[in-house]
Amino acid sequence: MNWRIIRALVAKDLSLFFKNRFFAIVTVIGLIFYIVIYFVMPKSVNENLEIGLYAPVMLPALEQMQGEGLEIERVESEDMLKEGVIEGHYVAGIALPADIMEGFVSAQKPVISVYFASDVPEETKDAVEVMIRELAYQQVGQALAIEVSEEIIGPDLAGMQIPPRDRMRPLLAIMLIMVETLGLANLISEEIERRTINALLVTPVSVKELFFAKGITGVSLAFIQSALFMAIVGGINHEPLIILVTLLLGAILVTGVGFIIASLGRGFMSVLIWGMPILIILFIPAFGVMVPGAATGWVKAIPSYYLVDTVHRVANFGAGWGNIWLNLVVLVGFDLALAWIGIMALRRRTL
Amino acid sequence: MTQGTIVAERLMYSYGNLIAVDGISFNVAEGEILGFLGPNGAGKTTTVKMLTGQLKPKGGKATLLGMDVAKNVDKVQGDIGVCFEVTNLYEQMSAVENLRFFARLFGVHSLDAEALLVRVDLAGRGKDRVATYSKGMKQRLMVARSLVNRPRVIFLDEPTAGLDPTSSESIRNIILEERERGATVFLTTHDMLEADKLSDRVAFMNQGKIVALDTPHNLKQQYGKRALKAKVSTESGKLEDREVILDTPETPEAIHELFAQEKVVTIHSEEATLEDIFISITGRGLQE
Repeated sequence: MNWRIIRALVAKDLSLFFKNRFFAIVTVIGLIFYIVIYFVMPKSVNENLEIGLYAPVMLPALEQMQGEGLEIERVESEDMLKEGVIEGHYVAGIALPADIMEGFVSAQKPVISVYFASDVPEETKDAVEVMIRELAYQQVGQALAIEVSEEIIGPDLAGMQIPPRDRMRPLLAIMLIMVETLGLANLISEEIERRTINALLVTPVSVKELFFAKGITGVSLAFIQSALFMAIVGGINHEPLIILVTLLLGAILVTGVGFIIASLGRGFMSVLIWGMPILIILFIPAFGVMVPGAATGWVKAIPSYYLVDTVHRVANFGAGWGNIWLNLVVLVGFDLALAWIGIMALRRRTL
Repeated sequence: MTQGTIVAERLMYSYGNLIAVDGISFNVAEGEILGFLGPNGAGKTTTVKMLTGQLKPKGGKATLLGMDVAKNVDKVQGDIGVCFEVTNLYEQMSAVENLRFFARLFGVHSLDAEALLVRVDLAGRGKDRVATYSKGMKQRLMVARSLVNRPRVIFLDEPTAGLDPTSSESIRNIILEERERGATVFLTTHDMLEADKLSDRVAFMNQGKIVALDTPHNLKQQYGKRALKAKVSTESGKLEDREVILDTPETPEAIHELFAQEKVVTIHSEEATLEDIFISITGRGLQE
């Protein structure tokens, strides 16, 4: 391996990358844009259910529930209650009838109206309904016939839920890494299409040095950007070494993917057409972190899962080497496999 | 076989069942310009690829500067310059950036890019992006690029194809200058006039084989016919062509008869072209 040649090739590739206005702008603006997105997202989670209440007669049991994850605000009329729900001040509005106590006493079934906005999730509706039923049991003196024993397995995260912006961190970091995949693929594809690769291969540049230099270019672009992003948004405050190693492995992963896209692409548009579906698949694990429960077991078949999951667990849950080593082993495996496939595909196309 | 700067010994290459180069042998001496002529698909490019280390021969051996190309690709490629037929420059970079980048690959630190650009008539345009160049300018830059390492062997593939006469002449002059410097030039071309003008020897390649290899003069002697071409005026005032073949026992009488019996308007001698010779040997033209 001749390092003078590799340095010259990497310098040339970086120069060409930033001479392509599209990728230069996407790289610089993208980094700034993702950092801005992170900082404008809420940095805390409101864990209380905000409920509006119209109650001509206040139930003692209801007053006791105040503060247990509930923020109950009383309003003067049922119309004000509905307005509050529509405007999004409350997730639910509860209207008690004026004769509710008489109803309990006479063993009738008083009708309690509950108002929800149209976009309230089903589980919130169920929770409010269960709360009202429990309230009614307590009010008529019929306690539930069971005792519920709660035990949190692992660290109790009550009160320390992950803010949306921190949940987004892995997604933003992987987006930065992925965009560089397209840039690298375009660089290689143009090298082949414009036949400049032929000019290189009649100089002392060997095929091995050529691919190695492309790899360094791709890894550098992806790694530096994602590491810079994570440093700015506080993603490497805990276990910086693990985060940096993971991002480096992620950068190698996308470089292999870049090689594969380059072997399929025939110019800029073709690279975009081949690249976008592949990138969307690689984004899926990051969306799974954003919306827990959205992705099931199959997501583990996507190589980027091990990148996202590691960054998420280390940056957001304080995981250490002992917790994520297996992820890194799998990631190294995917790195080697994709790099090998990419190089073989490119060799087949170029030689 | 005599040792030369370029030596091909029973060189063979096939793409599947198709034999592209069929056991050819030749050598090129130091400081010689060899014109490599042949129609499309004759095996010229494959031969060049084997000589420059881009393809490993499937049979035989290629030796450059005394080194087996297949075993010493890196060393061989450090001493050669290649100019391709199709433009393959980094168009987003300037001419100077292109030349300096390739010089770095060869480990040349003292390249005078401006002087090289002057040689190819690109003085003052060195800092412009190559994308803004005309075809002729790009081709001249390609020639300049092939010279950044002062190569001992230069491979030029159709260096003047599609160029205007000024650009072509400029490139031909550079080829002759490089020969003067002592470089060996392997010139692949369709242009028989160019090959005739520049080459010390020419090789005709057809269907993977070298069918003739000699100096243009000797080939013309061996395969061509010399003739006198005349335009004569008939009684009705029309101009007609007449031809008298030279170098035959009947030639003196035929010339005498021409002047005695016809009203000769113009007369000139004509030699066979390399294309004529190629056709007479292979039965097909170079442009096919």
